[in-house]
Amino acid sequence: MFDLITDLARYNDLMISGSLETLYMVAMSLFFAIVGGIPLGVLTTITRENHIIPNKPLNFVLDGIINIGRSIPFIILMVAVIPFTRMIVGTSIGTNAAVVPLSLAAIPFMGRVTDNAILEIEHGVIESAQSMGASPLQIVFKVLLPESLPAIILGLTLTAISLVSYSAMAGAVGGGGLGDIAIRYGYQRFQLAIMLETIVILVVMVQLIQFFGNKIASFFDHR
Amino acid sequence: MIKIENLTKHYHAAQGKVEAINGLNLEVDDGEIFGMIGPSGAGKSTLIRMLNLLEQPTSGTININGTDLTELSSQNLRAARQKIGMIFQHFNLLSSRTVLGNVAFPLEIAGVAKKERIAKAKELIELVGLSDRADHYPAQLSGGQKQRVGIARALANDPDLLLSDEATSSLDPESTKSVLELLAKIRDEMNLTIILITHEMGVIKDICDRVAVLEAGQIIEEGSILDIFARPKQTLTKKFISSVIDFDLPERIIKYVKAERPGELIRISFVGEKTHDPYISDLVKHYSVDANILYGNIDEIQGVPFGTLVLDLEGQLTNIEESINYLQSQDLRVEVLDNV
Repeated sequence: MFDLITDLARYNDLMISGSLETLYMVAMSLFFAIVGGIPLGVLTTITRENHIIPNKPLNFVLDGIINIGRSIPFIILMVAVIPFTRMIVGTSIGTNAAVVPLSLAAIPFMGRVTDNAILEIEHGVIESAQSMGASPLQIVFKVLLPESLPAIILGLTLTAISLVSYSAMAGAVGGGGLGDIAIRYGYQRFQLAIMLETIVILVVMVQLIQFFGNKIASFFDHR
Repeated sequence: MIKIENLTKHYHAAQGKVEAINGLNLEVDDGEIFGMIGPSGAGKSTLIRMLNLLEQPTSGTININGTDLTELSSQNLRAARQKIGMIFQHFNLLSSRTVLGNVAFPLEIAGVAKKERIAKAKELIELVGLSDRADHYPAQLSGGQKQRVGIARALANDPDLLLSDEATSSLDPESTKSVLELLAKIRDEMNLTIILITHEMGVIKDICDRVAVLEAGQIIEEGSILDIFARPKQTLTKKFISSVIDFDLPERIIKYVKAERPGELIRISFVGEKTHDPYISDLVKHYSVDANILYGNIDEIQGVPFGTLVLDLEGQLTNIEESINYLQSQDLRVEVLDNV
């Protein structure tokens, strides 16, 4: 017991920097998920049959991108995109390098979440906007996004939590963060205390993300 | 004026080709409240949704104040739609916006400046009697209040035409009444044309000037409310009317009709001023028949009295015939009841 506590005290700085690295990876890739995934999801929905700008070929392609992106296991995606990561970041090691595959996984995930959120909107509401003479662009920004905002925020929460777990995987191949620490110290050096502490930190992180996600979503939810 | 010519809507469904609307012609005058009634599946909803092209017609023209909607580019159609308000059975309000935000929404779409649209929206919210609810979200309102928001929203861009797609069908009787009164009021105050569809004859009876009865994608009967109520021709029309006005004779009279009797049993329907004229005393005086009143019923349609009377006429056969002719010549609807 005493050993455990001295171990933890000794590695305090390591744990703090590991946590910050994890948060950095999650925040960066969440940013790209918002920038890339939400437009991808919106475009997928509105090009569906019977939606505001039906376009079968485009919908087929976008839907395919989302499905393919979502069907590749993250650990494989991470390795497969190494050349692409090198091209963008200049290296395939470190937190910045890990952001590339994390974003590539998060974008289609967020795309599907957005697609589902927008599909929840009753068709009548969209029709009423059309009956007022709203253009497709106005419908997207004044109807679809505001109406699905609570669901999109919950989807972002879900994405963020997936990213926490993916970032731990990225750590295993040199991405840094809590996953890296858990593997190197907890697993390879048999330091049980470190392993346990990373788990506790990850659990707390996920709880907090979910808690604030729910709070923000219900703030915007007037249904 | 709205002029619909040869309007057809066919579509393909799992069950094969569906002919929702079949060569329909219709004219609606400015300032009129025009009702369309029909059973479910008659094509009412398809029809009203074609009037602002939410539904694309297969063929035919929809002419509103001289513009054929079917020929407009999508940009011009959007501009035309701003002048056609629409209200819906399920209200279709934006749950993310307050009452004020919902009413201001069409103005935002039309590009009206913020200050102006808030002023206009407040004015409309007052018109529909919801000033104390302007900051509420739709989820906090009752059905009747939601529909009032829907109406205020539909009026935001000062439309010439208001389309009502079963607007009262999901409301309780009291809210229905107040929403209908509101519609009649805005028609009078803003002089706009209202076209509504419904499956409730009560709605037609309460506010429509004219009505068309729809069956299987076609208008089977059309006319002013009083005409239709006084002289319905089609069985379906009669059925709708009997849902709001008691046409069925009581059991006692049906028994009497079936029994052996000397005279002739007739039913007279009369409308408006005719209720004031002394026909029965005329009959008795001039045609030497005895008239025995078996059953009577007076209702009112938009303030005009409307009634039915069942008479048992006794006397010589020729006298009875002559008296029936006399009544018919007075523009009353007379039916001889042989069997009921």
